Formats: sequence, structure tokens, C-alpha cells
Amino acid sequence: MGKSSDSMKSFWRGGELFVWLTASGVAISLLMVGAMLALIMVNGLGQFWPATLHQIVLKTQEIVIGQVVGHEVIPNSVTPDRPNGLDRFRYRVGNRDVFGSEYRWVNGEDILSTMSPKDLTFVERREWGPAFGRLSIVGVDGMTESSDSQTWPAIGSLVEESTNLRQRIEHVERDEIGAINYRLEKARLERQALTLDGQLSPREAEVDRRLVDQIATLEQEYQAKTVALEQLHKEAGQKTLLLTLSNGRPLRLTLDQVITVSRPNDMSWIDKLVAYLHNLWLFVSSEPREANTEGGIFPAIFGTVLMVFLMTIAVMPFGVVAAVYLREYAKQGVLVQLVRIAVNNLAGVPSIVFGVFGLAFFVYALGGTIDQLLFPESLPNPTFGTGGILWASLTLALLTVPVVIVATEEGLSAVPRDFREGSVGLGATKFETIWHVILPCALPGILTGLILAMARAAGEVAPLMLTGVVKLAPALPLDSYLPFLHLDRKFMHLGFHIYDVGFQSPNVEAAKPMVYMTTLILILVVVLLNWTAVMLRNRLRKRFAMSAV
Amino acid sequence: MIKPLHMRPLIDRLARAMITVGGLATILSILGIFFFLFREVTPLFTTPTAKLTQRMVLPAFLTAEGPVQLAVDEHREIAQIVTSGGVQFIELASGQPIPMELPADLKSRHLTAMAHGGGRASRYAVGTAEGEVLLLKIGTTTEFSDSGERQKRPMIRAGRPLTLTQGPITTLAYRFNDRESVLAIFSQEGRLIVVRLPADEGAGIDPVITELTKPTATVTSLALDGSLENLYIGTMDGLVLHVALSDREPPAVKGGYAVTTPTTAVTALGFLNGDRSLVVMTAEGEVSTWGLIRRAEDQSRWRLTKMHTFRSHGAPVTAFAPSQRVKGFVTADAKGQIFLHHATAEQTWLTLSNGDSPIRAVTFAPKGDGLISFDGAGQLALYQMHNAYPEVTFETLFGKVWYEGYDQPTHVWQSSSGSDDFEPKLGLMPLAFGTLKGTMYALLLAVPIAILAAMCTSQFMHPDLRAKIKPIIEVMAALPTVVLGFLAGLWLAPLLERLLPAVAGMAVTLPVLVIASSLIWYLFPPAFRRRLRPGQEALLLIPILAIGIGACLWANSFLEAWWFGGDIKAWLSNRLDIQYDQRNALVVGIVMGFAIVPVIYSIAEEALANVPKTQIAGSLALGATRWQTVLYLVLLSASPGIFSAVMIGFGRAIGETMIVLMATGNTPVMDWNWANGFRTLSANIAVEIPEAPHGGSLYRVLFLAALLLFIVTFVINSLAEIVRQRLRDKYSHG
Repeated sequence: MGKSSDSMKSFWRGGELFVWLTASGVAISLLMVGAMLALIMVNGLGQFWPATLHQIVLKTQEIVIGQVVGHEVIPNSVTPDRPNGLDRFRYRVGNRDVFGSEYRWVNGEDILSTMSPKDLTFVERREWGPAFGRLSIVGVDGMTESSDSQTWPAIGSLVEESTNLRQRIEHVERDEIGAINYRLEKARLERQALTLDGQLSPREAEVDRRLVDQIATLEQEYQAKTVALEQLHKEAGQKTLLLTLSNGRPLRLTLDQVITVSRPNDMSWIDKLVAYLHNLWLFVSSEPREANTEGGIFPAIFGTVLMVFLMTIAVMPFGVVAAVYLREYAKQGVLVQLVRIAVNNLAGVPSIVFGVFGLAFFVYALGGTIDQLLFPESLPNPTFGTGGILWASLTLALLTVPVVIVATEEGLSAVPRDFREGSVGLGATKFETIWHVILPCALPGILTGLILAMARAAGEVAPLMLTGVVKLAPALPLDSYLPFLHLDRKFMHLGFHIYDVGFQSPNVEAAKPMVYMTTLILILVVVLLNWTAVMLRNRLRKRFAMSAV
Repeated sequence: MIKPLHMRPLIDRLARAMITVGGLATILSILGIFFFLFREVTPLFTTPTAKLTQRMVLPAFLTAEGPVQLAVDEHREIAQIVTSGGVQFIELASGQPIPMELPADLKSRHLTAMAHGGGRASRYAVGTAEGEVLLLKIGTTTEFSDSGERQKRPMIRAGRPLTLTQGPITTLAYRFNDRESVLAIFSQEGRLIVVRLPADEGAGIDPVITELTKPTATVTSLALDGSLENLYIGTMDGLVLHVALSDREPPAVKGGYAVTTPTTAVTALGFLNGDRSLVVMTAEGEVSTWGLIRRAEDQSRWRLTKMHTFRSHGAPVTAFAPSQRVKGFVTADAKGQIFLHHATAEQTWLTLSNGDSPIRAVTFAPKGDGLISFDGAGQLALYQMHNAYPEVTFETLFGKVWYEGYDQPTHVWQSSSGSDDFEPKLGLMPLAFGTLKGTMYALLLAVPIAILAAMCTSQFMHPDLRAKIKPIIEVMAALPTVVLGFLAGLWLAPLLERLLPAVAGMAVTLPVLVIASSLIWYLFPPAFRRRLRPGQEALLLIPILAIGIGACLWANSFLEAWWFGGDIKAWLSNRLDIQYDQRNALVVGIVMGFAIVPVIYSIAEEALANVPKTQIAGSLALGATRWQTVLYLVLLSASPGIFSAVMIGFGRAIGETMIVLMATGNTPVMDWNWANGFRTLSANIAVEIPEAPHGGSLYRVLFLAALLLFIVTFVINSLAEIVRQRLRDKYSHG
């Protein structure tokens, strides 16, 4: 007894308990990071796996076809005689257009039997989400042409056919009609520019007449294309698939509605893996559908990358020049030290403040002025006087320039003194020393700063919401029309996509897996960039630690 | 590569100049952010001005004794004046009267009382010396000529006269809606009459005339509100009577209120824009606004309650006009002073003096940018005014404000609503409160975890292990906050709602688990214990805590059944009177705490690790245990650094936008409760600025919010930075 109380005392005095308490801080931090990453990965990556389609029969003889997506104990169902409570399953039953909701809860005790027949088909559609059921093909005349045993082999070529057709339709819609629209708009604006001062000189009148002719021709072309488009739509709508739903009702799908058709219950592991990778590829490479809740996120990835790229171009020269000035040219003293602290602290100013500044300065003040000077013909429709990718990039450049300055300064100050002295001793001027000796040595530092800036910029959303990000941009900021890069266009962004789809979309439940995947991609980009920066910085430190010896 | 020798100094100088200019420009432009934000905010607080632009003497027939109604069109081109002598339009540019034929009914009559129909309407009612009332439409019509020029034409239309009394009508009130017009009149013989006239005079419906009981004192003023249900009567002995009107029941006096002390005559009554606040003016020069208010403790009774008091004129108030856009109004007195007030801001923002001549009438230009007055000398004076933001003052932004429809002064943020005469309520306090609330909950979670973790990795952990774990925690700082916000709003918030009992269980279980594991570990033989490298306790704890958390989650239903009677929400609401919102401060605390853990950790760790090893070795050599060394030496020496770490974490949490935007529900309530939401300054900016008209008061107030965030975070970060610098200097020299 005495010994144990002694050891208790030493346990207490030694503070072993508190050491463990501090360790719990680390443990909790690590647990939180791990749990979060696991959560995002499971939810994000899981959705592309072709999940088994179940066919369950309820006690009411109702048949439900769907994928299990959740399971829980019914709230308040735990009673003394039922210590485990009652459970219920959440099924994704698809066919939102027929059933009203894509999901439904099924109580465990209501289920009579569960099977997964091989002929259950998963149809990915352009609208209304997926449809589940049994498939048959219907021909042009509306009569059933094939029995089920013949249907499946024929489906592949049919879907391929429909994909080709859809691509052709998209080509006509976007590229051909888009080009006509673009030229039409340009001609209209040119006409407006002519009449801006109120009168037409004879030469201007001549130009104006030509423009009128041009507009007329373009409008004719436009008509012709519309007719062609209608023809294509008609062709696509001719062949239909017939899906027998779980409630026995038939659902007619025209072929242009169908994106992919698969039978997950009839797929091997290899097939599923192929389908998985294909789905993943579709996700990152295709356009969003259904108010961003389905389809891909390509425009958001593109917008993020382009925005970060533009920001880098803006931030690099200014950040490096400012750092070189502060470290190499400015007289070191209290003032420079204060400026340094101020610049450093700007990195801690909330990003929304930068957004507000960007809105007032870039969009309203600068953009408004540019519109009046350069684009008076399209007023009152703003060109640069509204949010756009240029203003968003510049706002983020301001936000991240302190990061670049600080990192560059660190890089500059790490260059050993002997290097400078050697260079100056050999007769180089100050600028030559900086240009040929110091900057190359500081390059890893500069790169570290840039990468950190890029990582920060890629993840920021709040300032973008004020300076030009949109939920759905009609066109990418980069296309085949002069001047190719359209700095005034609004753009989509991964981070804003998460906010928008997660919080503003009408069908949050169905969109959730997509948001998880978007989140995963965003995190990957940001963490990879950060990680690269940290590696670079470590290498830099080691290099100069060695050379300083 | 090789350049001419003589060029090199030149290039060097050029480069120096360019780098200096470029560097300075970059730094200045970054710092310029502050000044730009400041510049956007200052118009809110500029001193209002009014400039006399024109003064003209009117023809004698217009200056006869009696009531006056003034108006001016929205472009301030044509003024109109109605006096007992007649109606006259005046072209302001030339100062010339516009010749105009008056309707026959009007020409032959002597006008003894007149009233405006309210709002922006060009409708008036007049009473005559013969005891008749007439409805008039007096205004300007705007036409555009073929060349696009604007042309204004005066217009007068008169309704049919209706005889009500024998003697002259002295006081008149008039309001209308789509269906009917209501007039209240007081005549020289002391009769008080309410008349309901159908809107369509040709429909053959007779006017309904009701006579009210004769008041004890002479009636000096009458006011009707736009609902046509409330009539206010101001009397000679300083009373305001409230009469409820209805088209079904006879008028009933609902209350009498002594509005002045000592008893002086009410000289004028009027309504602010929206017809909800009654302005009472007296012979002593007092000006106050009153509203019908139902007190929380007495819900059944509406009482006329004094809401705001304004600067006294010190002379009888003779003229009044409401602003047609905001809750502002103008009053003028017998000594020629004109006061401009804003009701909600409870301020008299400008006083003008018009010489000694008493003001007989005054009115605002429709856009609120001009003022026109008519004085006893028959002079019309025109002022150009500049006060874009009368509703925004330091007090309305940060103090309690008594808004119309509220039963007491409160802090409110409500910038928009569906109704037309809605008054934006731009009180920043609920938002500042929300910002602090979110920050506090986040710090509550983050500070212990971050500092404990920093102590562990810097003091108790093997360097190899530390080199692996530190970057993992620090990389959390790089996670985009939109990701955390998404998880908070769509994953954690619904989950927490279901798993609240499990979380309550964790709050008990996890500390117990940590204590228990340390005890159990201590019971192992020392030889075995030494096999654990310092700091591996953390790794050991991960599975233990994970199991603890898992167990709590698994036991959620049982916990709910045993602790909380089967329904935790009901339990909270019955026992603790807490209404649980799904998106609440707890969710934000957890997730924003998660976001600032790495920030605090990183700086605190650096501070702790920088405590010289020699001192630590000395302490250990003197026989202190490693915990005693950490507690009494390391923690104390590094405390400024830890303080600055917490400050920087604080600064980060204050400005965080996406997490609070997505996880709080954004309701601007002021309540420290963990179970409900809030709205922060930053989220408020993100929500409202896309809708705020450029240059409007909301826009500028949002800029003020941004400026506040800027200043607060900048000051906090600077303080923290200075503390850190000092600490660094101390150890680098010592």
C-alpha cells in the first residue's frame, strides 16, 4: 500500500499524466486530419464504382430497384426489449422524373427478399439523373424489335451511335452556331461604335452598309444551321430505349438522352475497374449537367488553373522586385523593418477584405474606366466593369504578393555573404551581382514563395465570389476566337463549385458525392503544391547550410 | 553577355532606379489597399451641406395670409405653390411664373385649409371659407419630344366641391387609397368631421359623413395615416388624441396623450414616409416622433409612444415636410430657422437660417437633393442639399436604435426586405457579436489542442518523430476553407444533430481514457516503458482515442435513451431552454477550431522549441522532472510566443469567411448560446455585397465592415509580430 502511494506520488510529481495529456493534443490533431481525408476520399472516390443494383421485394409486394447508400438505426427506436433498435436502409432508386426523389428509405423489417439479378440496367441520362430497370430496344416505328437476349449485345453500338450523334449536335451548337453568333455580335458592336457620335460620315455610312449586309448573311447562315440542328435532333430522337421500371411501368428514353448503359451486377472486377476509371475520366473531362449536380467539372478545373496561372504571372515580377528592393537596395532601418512587418501582416488580413477591395478598385474603378475609354459601344453592358477572370487573378495576386515577398526575402538573405563579396571583388556592379549571383542562388526561395502563393490562390473562394466567379460560365475564358484569351469573361472555380453545388443547388443530396470528389481534387492540388514548396524550402536550407560551412 | 564597359555603370544605375521604383510602387500599392477602403467609407461620415441657390419674391396675390402647400418636381425645374390666393407654377430656371388657367371651381373660392395626400402623390385636399372641401390634382406631366428632349407641363384638376359646414374650414387632413379618400376636417365653429369619398366620383356612391364629438380644446392640427384607420388630433392644450376609423364601425377615441410638458399647443402633426411615425411639433419648438407600439408586457394594447426627440426650435414650429425617400423630415419655425432631421438616427443633421422671416411652408425635392421654403416676406428660397447617407451615423451603426415597428431600441441588422417603404437597418453590432462568438468558440477548441500538441512535439518528442508529425499538422493550414465549410455544413452539422449524445459522451470519455492510459502505462515495468521513444505516447493514443470515439458513436442511441430521455433535443429545450439549430456555434467551433489549430500550433511550437536547450538541460540537471521543466521554465519563457500564436489564431478566425458562411445559418442574432447560429462581418460581406447597389449606403457600410476587419486583424497581427520579434531577439542575443 505504502509503495503504491509512493509511486502514485512520483507519478503525479513526474507529470507523466500531463505528458500524456499533451500527447493527446497531437493525437487529436492527427486523428482529425486522418478522419477528414478518409471521409473525403471514401465519399468522393466511392461514387464512381459501379455499385450493385438490388431488387428488393417489400411486405406490401412492392418492388424496389436501387443501390444501398446508407444505413442507420431508426431514431428513438431503441427500447428495453429491442436494445439494437430497428434499422433502415437508404436506397438510391434513381428515376427522379418518375419517383419524385432519387433516394428513399426502406425499413429493414419491411423487406421480404433481396436479390441482385444480372439483367438490371443502370442508365446514365442527360437529364433527371440515372434510371434503373430492365431494358429493351424500340425501333423507329415504336414497336418492340428485340427480346432481352438480343437487346444487350446491340446496346453497345447503339450507345456509341448516340454518343457520336450527340457530339455532332454539340459541334453544331457550340462551334458552328457559336462562331456565327460571335461574328454577329461583333458586327453589331461595330455598327454601334459607328453611330456612337451621333452622325455618320459618308465613309462610315459605307462601312455601315457593308456591316448591315454582313449581318443579313450571317443571320441566313444561322437559320440554315438551326434547320440542320433540328434535323440532327430529330434523328437522335428516332430510336428509343424502353426501360421497365421497378413498378412495372415502362419508361421511354430517346437515344440522345442516354449517356452510358451498364449492368453492374453482370460485371467482373476488371470490368468494374475499367468502368470506374472511365467514370473518373468523364468526371474530370466533361461539362457539368443539371445545374452542376451531375456530369463533370472540367470548366471548373480549367478556370482554376487559368486563374492561378494569370495570378502567377502578375505576382511574380512585383513580388520579386519588391523583395529585391527591400533586401538589397533599401536602407535597412526602422522604417524598412516596419514596412516588412506590415507586408508580412497583410498575409494575415482576411481574404474577403481583398475581395471587397478588388470589387471596388478593379471592377468598379478600373473596369468602369476601361469600359468608358475602350468599349463605349457595348455600354451600358459592362465589359470589364463587371467581375472577370482578370480582376479575380489580380485580386488574388494582391492577396498572395506578401507570401512571395517574404519567401523571396528569406531566399535572398540566405545567400551567403561570401558570394556577394566575391562577386563585387571581381568587379561586378551591384546589379550584375544580383542578377548573376544572388537571384540564381535565391531561385529555390522564390519558387517556394510562388508555389505557396499558387496553393493559397487555388484554395481561396471568398474574394472570387466578389470579383468574377460564377456557378455556370457560358464559355471558357480561352477559345478559338480573337484574342483567344478573354480576360473579361467570368469563370468557374473548383472551390466555388463546392460552395455552390453544396449550398445553392436544388438537389444537394444527389450532388453530395460529386462535391466530395471536387473537394478531393482541390485538396490534392493544394496539398501537392504546398508539399512541393516545403520540399523546395528544405532543399534550399540544406544547400546553404552546407555552403555556409 | 559581354557588354561595352562604359555601359555597365549605366545599366547598374538604371536597374537600381527601376527596382527602387518598382519595389516602392508594389509596396505602396499593397499598403494603398487600406487607404482605398478608407476612401470608400468616408462619404458615410462627410458633413452634410446645403447651399442657397436661388431666392425669388412671389407676386403679391400669392402672399396672402393662410395655409400654403409647396412642391417641386424631381428635376427641380418647376415649383408649385398653393396659397389662399390661388395656385401658381414657377419656372425655377428663369424665376418666372408660368401663366395658367385655373379650373372654375377653384378660381372663385377662398382657401382656408389644405392638406397633401401623402407620399409622392400629386393629390391635395383644400377647405374653403364657405365650409366646402375639394380634391385637387396639382403637378407636372412629363413628355418627351421627338428629339428626346424632356418637356414638363403644369397640370391642375379639381374634383367637385362638397359642402360640410357653415363656417370656414380651419384644419384638414387627407389620405387616400385605391378605393376611397378619407378627409378629416375641423371648422371654425368647432365641428370635427370625417368624410369617406369613393375613389370614383361618377359611381354614384354617396360620401359617408361622420361627425365626431367636439373636443374640449381647439383642434390645431389633424393627421391621417395611409391605412385610413388612424386619425390623430392635435389640440391647443397639448394633447394628441388617437381616433380609430373604420368603414364598418363608428370612429372611437382610443387614447389621449399629453405630448408636451409643460402644456403648450401642438402646432403641427405629420407622418414620416411610410405613414407609421407621427411627428409632433409644438408652439415651444419641440419636435418628436411617436409610434403606435404594443409593449411586450401588455400585448393587447397599442399605445402611442414617444420614440425620438430632436433639437428644439425654441420658437413655434410652423412648417413640416417628410422626405419622400427615407425616414427624414424637415421642420421650420416662426423665427426663420429650418432644421433637417433624420428620425431613426435621431439626429438633426443640419440647421439653416432664412433670416428673421417666419417660414410658412417647406418641402423636399422628390429625390431629397433639394429643399424649397416659402417665408412670411413672400420669398421662395431654394437650397441644394448634399447628404447622401443621413441614416448612417456612428450611433446607428454601433448603438441601439429604435426602428419603426419595434417596441424598444435594439441592435438590428436587416438590410433588405420585400416592402417598398422598408427602412434598411444597418446595425453592425449583431455582426461584430457573431464574429466574436464564432472566434471564441473556435479558440476554445483550438487553443488547448494546439498548445498541448506544440508542447508535446517541441519538448517530449524525439526529433525524428517530430520531423514527421510537424509537417502533417502544419499542412492542415493549407486546406482550403471552402472544403472545411462544406464538411461543416453538409457533413458535420447533420451528423452532430444525430450524434449529440455521443459527443457529450466523448467530452467525458476521452479525458478519462487519456488519464487511464497514462496510469496503466505507468504500471508497466520501467524497463518496458523505456522501449517507447519519447513522444510515441501520441501514436499510442491514436488508436485508443479512435476506439473511444467509436464506442461513443456506437453507444449514441443508448446514451440518448439513458441520459437524455430518448430525445436530446427535447431534453435540451425542456431542461436547459436551448433550441438546437442544425447549423450552430458548436459546429463552427469544431471546424474553425480545426482550421486554426495548425496556425497556433506552428507559431507556438517555434516559440517553445526556441527556448535554449542549455536552460532546459540545467533544469533537468537540478533534478526537475521533464514536466516540471516544461511547466516552470519552458512555458514561462515562451509565453509571449504562445500569446502571439493565440493572437494570430484569433486574427485568422475573425476574418474567416467560407466556414462561417456555410456552417452558421447566417442569422444575425445576439446570443452566446452554443446551439444557435450567428452571422459574422465577413460572411455578411460575402452574402450582401453582390446585391448592394454601387455607392449606396449598404455598399459603404459593408466597406466599413471590411475596413474594420482589416484594421482589427492588422493590429492584432502586428502586435503578435512585435512580441515574436522581441522574443527572437532575446534568445538570439542571450
